[in-house]
Amino acid sequence: MRVMAETAARYAHARPRASRFLRHEALTGYAMISPALFLLAVLLAYPFVLAVYISLTDRVLGEPGSFVWIRNFVKLLQDPLFRQTVWNSFVYTVSTVFLKLSLGLILALLLNQEFPCRNLVRGALLLPWIVPTSLSVLTWLWMFDSLFSVVNYLLLALGLISRKIPWLGDPFWAMISVIIVNTWRGLPFFAASLLAGLMTIPRELYEAAQSDGAKPLACFWFVTLPLLRPVIAVVVLFSTIWTFADFQIVYILTHGGPVNATQIFATMAYDVALVAGRIGEGSAISLFLFPALLVVIIGLLHYLRRE
Amino acid sequence: MQKKPRTQHGTNRAISRRRFLGVTAGATAALSFGTFLRSGLGAARLNVLTWSNTLKAMDDVLREQAAAYTKEKGVEISLEFINQQDLPAKTAAIVESGAGPDIINLWANGAHLFAKALVDVDDVANDLGKRLKGWTNIGKDIGMVGKNWKAVPWGIIPIALTYREDWLKEVGYSTFPDTWEDLLAAAKKLKDKGHPVGFSLGRAIGDANQFHYPLLWSFGGKEVQKDGKTVAINSPETAKAVDYRRKLFQDGETDDVFAWDDAANNRAFLAGAVSITVNAASIYWAAKKDAPQLRGVTNHALFPKGPAGRFGYSSPILLGVFKFSKAQKEAKEFIKWLMEPKQYSAWIGEGEGMMAGLLNYYEDDPVWKKDPKLETIRQIPKYVRMPGYPGPPSRQAQEALVKFVIVNMFARAAKGMATAETIKQAEDELKALYAKA
Repeated sequence: MRVMAETAARYAHARPRASRFLRHEALTGYAMISPALFLLAVLLAYPFVLAVYISLTDRVLGEPGSFVWIRNFVKLLQDPLFRQTVWNSFVYTVSTVFLKLSLGLILALLLNQEFPCRNLVRGALLLPWIVPTSLSVLTWLWMFDSLFSVVNYLLLALGLISRKIPWLGDPFWAMISVIIVNTWRGLPFFAASLLAGLMTIPRELYEAAQSDGAKPLACFWFVTLPLLRPVIAVVVLFSTIWTFADFQIVYILTHGGPVNATQIFATMAYDVALVAGRIGEGSAISLFLFPALLVVIIGLLHYLRRE
Repeated sequence: MQKKPRTQHGTNRAISRRRFLGVTAGATAALSFGTFLRSGLGAARLNVLTWSNTLKAMDDVLREQAAAYTKEKGVEISLEFINQQDLPAKTAAIVESGAGPDIINLWANGAHLFAKALVDVDDVANDLGKRLKGWTNIGKDIGMVGKNWKAVPWGIIPIALTYREDWLKEVGYSTFPDTWEDLLAAAKKLKDKGHPVGFSLGRAIGDANQFHYPLLWSFGGKEVQKDGKTVAINSPETAKAVDYRRKLFQDGETDDVFAWDDAANNRAFLAGAVSITVNAASIYWAAKKDAPQLRGVTNHALFPKGPAGRFGYSSPILLGVFKFSKAQKEAKEFIKWLMEPKQYSAWIGEGEGMMAGLLNYYEDDPVWKKDPKLETIRQIPKYVRMPGYPGPPSRQAQEALVKFVIVNMFARAAKGMATAETIKQAEDELKALYAKA
């Protein structure tokens, strides 16, 4: 009781000061967002503009270089290795986003049911997302090791395969490996976001649908999916951007190999810009998809606003 | 619970925070003034950025030497060791920002890549060369850009073939095969006995390149002409090397090589899964700790001879001084001091084959007498060439290396692609890359 009274007294005391602030509401507003704006300008806008500029020069490390317009981009298109990188990046992104979305949706639907220890399971789900990627991928590297692969050991012991799978040693399997690990890592983001979306769908809608005679599948198709669409659009958008820009998983697992089978934008850009020292061309590689992604982003955001 | 009156509580906190800030600010000011004073008093300080050696004991030697130097010359040395893999990105950032350590540890053709950011070290290199029997060819190749020394060659990590003596004896070889053809025959016999050989065809930036460049060269193949511009990979000699590599894979090698990174072959060798692989002396070293039973039966061999001779490619390291350094004179003196026999012998002595000097004087260093199995390693520097050979170790050659153009050419063949086709693909990649100014 006494505590409550004291709290009330404290608020009563504070009110005049607060109202004085409110009189300069606009000013306060600017003051409050200015740190964020400053950070955005310094940490995002400046490096981005600089990267765009560098991608239009033939700059190499330690030398100024000259402005070459879009020559880097034109040359990249003629480079067979880069064309393969573009293809790999699309295969990697499209398949992982598709897998993460479908598996994430299933997971979210399951976790939306009532069952014992539900919160514990929901929490545990986030683990792959929380563990630092480089560490968890190192563990995967061991699991796919050519000599000591525990995955192969298990599959052999269970009699599912007759000879060991060359996980990271074969172009096809290497792509499968990085897709598996990316899906594993990104799944929690999808599942958690979709679960949050599911929880906002009012129960009455399902009851209404059921009274109209809708079966579970129809409920999902005509109630759940349409209402989840904005959430799906956002997570797909984010995940697509992240996956196109992914570096750690591929760098640690395959370093783009074998024979460039898993070379993607970020790993190629790293090798060209930082290891070979051609930062102009390296920037062009990492910015190559920017125009395309920009169109996708604008389109999706437009769609979301209409929704 | 008895609560303190609110106002007093609030005042207390305000004062204590203010006092805290005041005290901290005062302390910081005092401290930085102290640093300012010290730096103003002329005590030079050198910052050195270098790789963290696979063999920690070698870094300990450097630390001790730096401390001794400080005592002797009054120049404070601060050594920073970072992961070798992080060194390129870090060096790039330093060169771009124009701020960082005074002395940098460069790798391979680093002196060529960063020539414009480095001061000439002709005085140091020429003086050392004069007194210590001259520089090896590879030392000159990596240290000199045009007519000037841009960095002092610090050494190479000698890459040899590491093999199991006992298994080779089992199939009838008392000495290591001296030519590639002999090696192929031996590998076949070894694989039949369940002891395949293994040379990475995967993403091992070190091992894979270190094996396949010498293979190409010893058959007479080359990626580029002596001018360092004209792509010359498409030749009958390259075709022979590619055919050989396919045969070696099919007849004598483990399938795992496509997945191998730089550490995988060490593990495979120590696990007894392969009989011959390519590596620094680190396997021999690791055996001491992890597999002592293997140390007695492990030995080193030079790369076999091909129609065009015997070659090798080992990672060289250099020490360079940045142009932005305010202590260039001191930096050069420290590098020279490190390269003097007293210090240098102690350092490579601790390495027992992990590092070889590029001054001819060090070919007779006492370290090579420590263990008869190091005799082979002593000879390695004279066979070593750099990617881009017979052209200079250029930026393009480096790009070809990091893109695994040569390794992948062999890897596709081992996977079954026709020789002409895989060479053509490598040629296209090289042409795209050498076309860049």
